[in-house]
Amino acid sequence: MEPYLLTYIVFLPAAVALPILFIQEETAVRWVTLATTAVVFMMTVALYVKLPLTGLPPGSWLVFEDRAWIEPFGIRYSLGLDGLSLVLVMLTGLMFTLSVAASWNAVKERVPFFHFMLLTMETGVLGVFLSTDLFLFYLFWEVMLIPMFFIIGVWGHGRRVYSAVKFFIYTVSGSLLMLLAIVGLYVIHADKTGVHTFAIDSLAGTHPTGTAGLVLFGAFLLAFAVKVPLFPLHSWLPDAHTDAPTAGSVILAALLLKTGTYGLMRVGFPLFPEAAAASAPLLFGVGLAGLYYASWIAFAQEDIKRLVAYSSIGHLAIVVMGIAAWNETALAGSALQMVNHGISTGALFIMVGMLDERTHTRDISAFGGLWTKAPALSAFFLLFIISSSGLPGLNNFAGEFLVFAGVFRDHPLVAAGAFGGIVVSLIYLLMLAQKLLFGPAMGKGEFGDLTARELAVLVPLAALVVVLGVYPKLVLDPVASPVHDLVNIFGVSASSVSGAIAGGGAP
Amino acid sequence: MSIMELYALLPIGALGLGSVAILLAGAFAGDIPKRYLNLAGATIGLASAVFAVPRLPGGLEVGGMISAGQFDRLFVVFSGLVAAFTLLLSAGYTERRPLGREEYPALVLFAAFGMDVLASAVSLLGLFLGLECMSLALYILLASNRDDALSGEAGLKYLVVGAVSTAFLSFGLALIYAQSGTLSISGAMAALTVDGVPSPAGLAGWAFIIVGFGFKASLFPFHLWAPDVYEGGPAPVVAFLSTGSKAAVMTALLKLVLASGAAWATVMPAFWVMSAATMVFGNLAALTQENIKRLLAYSSMAQMGYVLMAVVAAPATGPGPAMFFIFAYTAMEMGAFGVVAAMSGRDSDLGDISRIRGLGYVYPLRSAVLTVCMVSLAGLPPTAGFMAKFQVFYAAVGAGYVYLAAIGILTAIASVYYYLKVVVALYMRPASDTVLPEGIRIIPSMDTEGKVALVVIALVIIALGVLPGGLMGLLAR
Repeated sequence: MEPYLLTYIVFLPAAVALPILFIQEETAVRWVTLATTAVVFMMTVALYVKLPLTGLPPGSWLVFEDRAWIEPFGIRYSLGLDGLSLVLVMLTGLMFTLSVAASWNAVKERVPFFHFMLLTMETGVLGVFLSTDLFLFYLFWEVMLIPMFFIIGVWGHGRRVYSAVKFFIYTVSGSLLMLLAIVGLYVIHADKTGVHTFAIDSLAGTHPTGTAGLVLFGAFLLAFAVKVPLFPLHSWLPDAHTDAPTAGSVILAALLLKTGTYGLMRVGFPLFPEAAAASAPLLFGVGLAGLYYASWIAFAQEDIKRLVAYSSIGHLAIVVMGIAAWNETALAGSALQMVNHGISTGALFIMVGMLDERTHTRDISAFGGLWTKAPALSAFFLLFIISSSGLPGLNNFAGEFLVFAGVFRDHPLVAAGAFGGIVVSLIYLLMLAQKLLFGPAMGKGEFGDLTARELAVLVPLAALVVVLGVYPKLVLDPVASPVHDLVNIFGVSASSVSGAIAGGGAP
Repeated sequence: MSIMELYALLPIGALGLGSVAILLAGAFAGDIPKRYLNLAGATIGLASAVFAVPRLPGGLEVGGMISAGQFDRLFVVFSGLVAAFTLLLSAGYTERRPLGREEYPALVLFAAFGMDVLASAVSLLGLFLGLECMSLALYILLASNRDDALSGEAGLKYLVVGAVSTAFLSFGLALIYAQSGTLSISGAMAALTVDGVPSPAGLAGWAFIIVGFGFKASLFPFHLWAPDVYEGGPAPVVAFLSTGSKAAVMTALLKLVLASGAAWATVMPAFWVMSAATMVFGNLAALTQENIKRLLAYSSMAQMGYVLMAVVAAPATGPGPAMFFIFAYTAMEMGAFGVVAAMSGRDSDLGDISRIRGLGYVYPLRSAVLTVCMVSLAGLPPTAGFMAKFQVFYAAVGAGYVYLAAIGILTAIASVYYYLKVVVALYMRPASDTVLPEGIRIIPSMDTEGKVALVVIALVIIALGVLPGGLMGLLAR
């Protein structure tokens, strides 16, 4: 295999980003960006098709790249691809491509600058999903923030600067504390073993115990929880989503939030198994609270985008509960759900953007009877709404079902509570569909149906909603072996700790 | 004096002799344009940096006064570059403002000469001489905006504060000399403990030295002069003052700390408290600033708090993190003040942040450089500032000062807000012509020297943020 393959994938967008600033012709900028993001997506699809995704020996990477980088500190430039990162990298490639297409008419100002930011952000997101060195992971983790800050602050609506700064301060607060924890873990590891390394695999053997373990894990958890975001650290999210341009919302929901759950799964839990196991009750608690709280607030929203944003908080809470349960079924469900949420919520944000472009409002009460005016658009909207509400046969159902099944095994009450939360979210999402699509038709003004470009954006997403609904193995197969490995690194110590916490003692 | 010793003195001598040469050239060939004098000064600075690159045998000392070890030579390279970039960034500014002709580059070079002596001194006397050379030149440079009352005020304030701090420092050095009976830094600092117990005179000496250096590097609680001086002084001079002079002072302080031996345990808490207080007060005070030069003044103060954190950890982890931070800080602070200088018009320096609103799209180069500097000062990757902060926190945690590191991280979070404020003004606010009708037109166009200097600085910041290994290796020895 090509030795720099992962580097090409990660840095292709960044390499194109700078020249784009100097292209004067706006349409050319859009096409170049679209082509770049599409090429990245194609490369990930090619990997998916070509690589053997099942039946792998434990702990193996499908593609691995490792080079010395900052030698005095033992920092390495190492990227690794396994099934779990592959599906998220594919999601990244897809959603960026669609975001470029979705912004074709929506972004009219400072076009080269906008696409520069999109492309640098893509490099950041891809890097987060592929880094296997904690230092590199942190670097990409921070790199994706600044472009998003610009995208909200420059091309957003309403109180865009306020929302952009709030987004930035919230996430940076979490991540700087994580930086300190990373340094702490590095020092503890070096003291214990004499080896200076940031490799996540090696650091996972450190097992800092007692207070140190709890404090360090707490800092990681905080950084990831802000990003997910977990209740009560979510208050930046509705603002950021509401004021961001469509592409910003799509990427925020579909990808940036996933970096939080991915971080928990790949970094937070494996590095601190004992502390993570001890935190499970907390995560279940805030997960359940967030699920109900988000639904409750969603009921009261007048702005479609805000409503979708709150539904996002609820969905991510389920993913986190699946991670907290930490068994193969629940983790596979969470991984699947990360992809599903990216597709469904991403699609919803794209559609809200389409409504906004047509009517220049996102006020729920301003809409009604869309089905008679724009049947195709309405049909897609309804599909994504019911997908998002988790109806059987569509994508979200499979993921949520697996999470619940996994959580139910050890924590039946939690699973029951979460199930109730799903029912509530079903209600407000269907109410949204009902208000928008049916009932008395809105004003007499023109309301065009989908254009060819919009159709091209929505069809792949709709196809995925259906295909992953009936055949979730497309995602479950590649994630099976990484998930198996993750559960096993956790090892005996962790399960005995969680057993002890539950009061059952060692088996 | 052997050939080798002369060779070792060459880069430092080049600065001093070059300074005199420029003065003479200005006096006897009266019609040389300012621009060429500045360029000549920059060339001399660069030459000094190049002369300092070759390796010399270890342990070489000249006259018991100046060391020529690898570490010190690295500083000489650095200060030559700082002088050169200051002069490049001054090119347009000195055309617009009555900043003196040949005396301007001559004084900058002379100050750089002082910095070299200060940072590479191995004798208490050398330390003092270097500091005074540097400060004298800076007093004049700060007041050199002759039509501007603020500039005069800045020069006077710095002079008064500088005189007081010199008094403290010289008394401290005298006490240490009295206690130890030697002027050699390593000998004197190590002789301050008797049977493992620090002597009262030695501790008093340390206290006076801390006060003296504290003033020069604007460490809490000796920082009160800094915002006024930064606001009033000519922007390129402030760039020089806030980078070169602070770097030299902190390097010298670092050397004293590393030489302190058994007395360190007693002195350390003072440094710990100063570091924490400097980070907290610098960052909190910067939050409310509306004037960009005052904001940078407090930011620069806060950054010194991080350097001091690395100094506190240095006896355990070595001087690498502190020096890396100083170098990285210099690049970003120089870039930030360089942009301020390049955006300062004929009548006054760039002041209120509202004046840069919306300029990101009108002056893309300067805005981009300022943004890179802000991101770096905030300690975010992929910049030198991030690598520097990472090392400082590593040093603090590794040496066991976890609480100090935690204070550092918390204040760093607060600092993100005011650095973003500058970026927000550049790119996310409409150019407000209601506030200042002539706001945009008074921004001057860019000269070639300034452009080159700013681009190089931005590239250095990003290069050190992506591939810091080389510099780290040099500093770790």
